Amino acid sequence: MQIKQEDKSGILVCYMTGEIDINTAPEVKKTFDKIVGAKKDKIVLNFKGVSYVDSSGLATLVEVLKGLRSYGGKLKLTNLSTKVKNLFEITKLEKLFDITSEEEEAIKAFS
Amino acid sequence: MEKKEIVIKTNNIVKKFGDRTVLNGVDLDIYRGETFVIMGGSGCGKSTLLRHMIGTLKPDDGKIYLLGKDITNLPEDEMDKIKKRIGMSFQGSALFDSMNVGENVSLPLREHTKLEESVIKIVMKMKLELVGLRGFEDLMPSQLSGGMKKRVGLARAIAMDPEIIFYDEPTAGLDPIVAGVIDKLIIDLSKKLSITSVVVTHDMESVFKIADKIAMLYEGRVVEVGTKEEMRNSKNQLVKQFIAGDPDGPIKFFQQKDDYLEQLTK
Repeated sequence: MQIKQEDKSGILVCYMTGEIDINTAPEVKKTFDKIVGAKKDKIVLNFKGVSYVDSSGLATLVEVLKGLRSYGGKLKLTNLSTKVKNLFEITKLEKLFDITSEEEEAIKAFS
Repeated sequence: MEKKEIVIKTNNIVKKFGDRTVLNGVDLDIYRGETFVIMGGSGCGKSTLLRHMIGTLKPDDGKIYLLGKDITNLPEDEMDKIKKRIGMSFQGSALFDSMNVGENVSLPLREHTKLEESVIKIVMKMKLELVGLRGFEDLMPSQLSGGMKKRVGLARAIAMDPEIIFYDEPTAGLDPIVAGVIDKLIIDLSKKLSITSVVVTHDMESVFKIADKIAMLYEGRVVEVGTKEEMRNSKNQLVKQFIAGDPDGPIKFFQQKDDYLEQLTK
């Protein structure tokens, strides 16, 4: 699992590549603990390179969201594959997260 | 066209308990993503077959392949690795009575992963929501009905997001609505997440709701495999009798009268 971070005019865009599962979720959590610790408040997670997310991956994202919300930070998810989107739906998490189809859309909504 | 992947293969499995041959040359191929139902009367060997598929019983003859690996005589440590990729929901829910619902569901994650406790707690709640039991995490198993226990067992079976879930009589003893919920859950998990489901049951209503493919087991042999339509239209008298629930036919439920008298006077 790789997370490439890019600052786009005050918005932190994280390009996720690989699988977010039981094995990689602890490492993902650590990366986002640092981001939350730095109190970044506008974050876009681009899932274009993510082939699979399991329940522990989803739970990790919920934890990230909780952390961000504690100081008024906001999170948007983009470019989810149908398979990944299905998982959000079956676990009813699509209502919890702000999901857009394209990155530009998410960035525009922050500006 | 994408080639379908076989995730479970049994090759001429034979199993005897004493003098009794319970499985007598079972050949089955189960493909990724399908819901495969093994049906048959009580004592026909279907639960025994399931236990072979998950490696808890070894056959006297034949081979079993699970997720691409020959598990027939696999050492325990290697089998444990494969077991992390499968989930099991058994007839009795097999919950730990000393643990509450939340702890029961969280157990596989605590034992087999390095996830933080806060993440485990969220996964546990997600799984309980899936089986309609969110909010019940603090209850003890003794405070639950049979149907609720079964659903907690199912939540635990899916805690690690398995590739294959094995269900032994998932709807037995449940009221029609809860049985319908379990059936829908099996379908949802299979279709949306491409989970393979292997279901052992004699609940015909459930069979025709959930199955992509059905195998009928009789006297330790697979007598027919097919889709719902193929099984409904089967010319096989054993299949016809079983589906219709007809007491008269080639499947005998009683010993011959002479045998009975002979046994009493032995």
